[in-house]
Amino acid sequence: MQDTTFNELADLALRRTGQAFERSKAYLMEARLATICRRESFAGLDDLAHCLKQRPNPRFEQEVAAALTGKATHFFKERDTLEQVIAHALPARLKQSTNGRLRVWCAGVATGQEAWSLAIRLSELADQPLGKAHVEIVATDVSLPALQIAQSGTYGHYAVQTGLSITRLMTHFDRQDTGDWIIKPDMRETVSFKRQNLMENANMLGQFDVILCRNVLSKMAPVMAKQAVETLAGQLLPGGFIFLGQEEDIHPIQPTLKPSRDMRGAWVPVERDESAEAAA
Amino acid sequence: MKNCLIVDDSRVVRTVAGRIVQDLNFTVSEAGDGAQALQHCREAMPDAILLDWNMPVMNGIDFLRALRRETGGDKPVVVFCTNENDAEHITEAMRSGANEYIMKPFDADIVYSKFLETGLV
Repeated sequence: MQDTTFNELADLALRRTGQAFERSKAYLMEARLATICRRESFAGLDDLAHCLKQRPNPRFEQEVAAALTGKATHFFKERDTLEQVIAHALPARLKQSTNGRLRVWCAGVATGQEAWSLAIRLSELADQPLGKAHVEIVATDVSLPALQIAQSGTYGHYAVQTGLSITRLMTHFDRQDTGDWIIKPDMRETVSFKRQNLMENANMLGQFDVILCRNVLSKMAPVMAKQAVETLAGQLLPGGFIFLGQEEDIHPIQPTLKPSRDMRGAWVPVERDESAEAAA
Repeated sequence: MKNCLIVDDSRVVRTVAGRIVQDLNFTVSEAGDGAQALQHCREAMPDAILLDWNMPVMNGIDFLRALRRETGGDKPVVVFCTNENDAEHITEAMRSGANEYIMKPFDADIVYSKFLETGLV
């Protein structure tokens, strides 16, 4: 790949999805765009970049930018965070709820395993107050192909065996003739999937009690990550919590988010925390 | 160090699986069928057993049922590792005392994930 190609594609990713690419990660670009190159019969990324320049097409640009986002995930990834949400964050929000309804936004879910894992975990709480509550899970990603997989709830041999116990697999999935496994109909109703670019206004999604956005912000350029945090914070209900990836280095956006004093592992917008402190 | 007994009639599978579980800090023992595995368990009960289904002499499910009747046979964590990928076989294995189930083909991530599920790592 020529340097100009790398620069053009990196610029596209930055503009469209906020994702930052270093030259050392050029191999990731090649891997993530291989499907589009094959489909469009491009000889390589130089060809693809040439096409983007010669025949500007916003829809194709968006597809390329979305394909450049990371999609590596698996079921029950970062369980500690999931358990913190289940055991503390959602119960705390439920206590404040007047109608027993809670909303969770899983932002940047790629192929959806995080959202389904949360839905599965909630379904295991039948005897607890949270199990009786109505928890709506909205899962979003910028990539339509990834969302199609997420929404289909259909996963292959390797995906269902990474992070998912055999008991959970048998309880919540049906095996298809193809050998793939599909989420059962009763689970399907618990999650809705929508396309959302964190660089864009998300008001259409409504407000949420808890927002999970794990391992997304740390892959963005700092200025774009701040913009994404504004998007997330704009949809957070007063008293709600944001959860990021456990190992995520969010130093560049720390002026915007700070650790919650009330909820381990959660982040809250700085403005809100400061006003709460002032009120106290 | 924990010990894992790998029970499979394929030497290739035993070798590949052995390398994976060694990387997870297990010592490895091998058996080529259920009867050999049962003999091994009577001499030294392992912490974990990675178990194929279809094998000569004694198959995996018969071995598992026999193992669970042995003194101390309730201790090993048994992870089936087999080409039998349908719901009926999985259900039978779990009812017979298996702790987890790997559908072949497998890789290191899958073995790690299943060992994590059962508290082995």
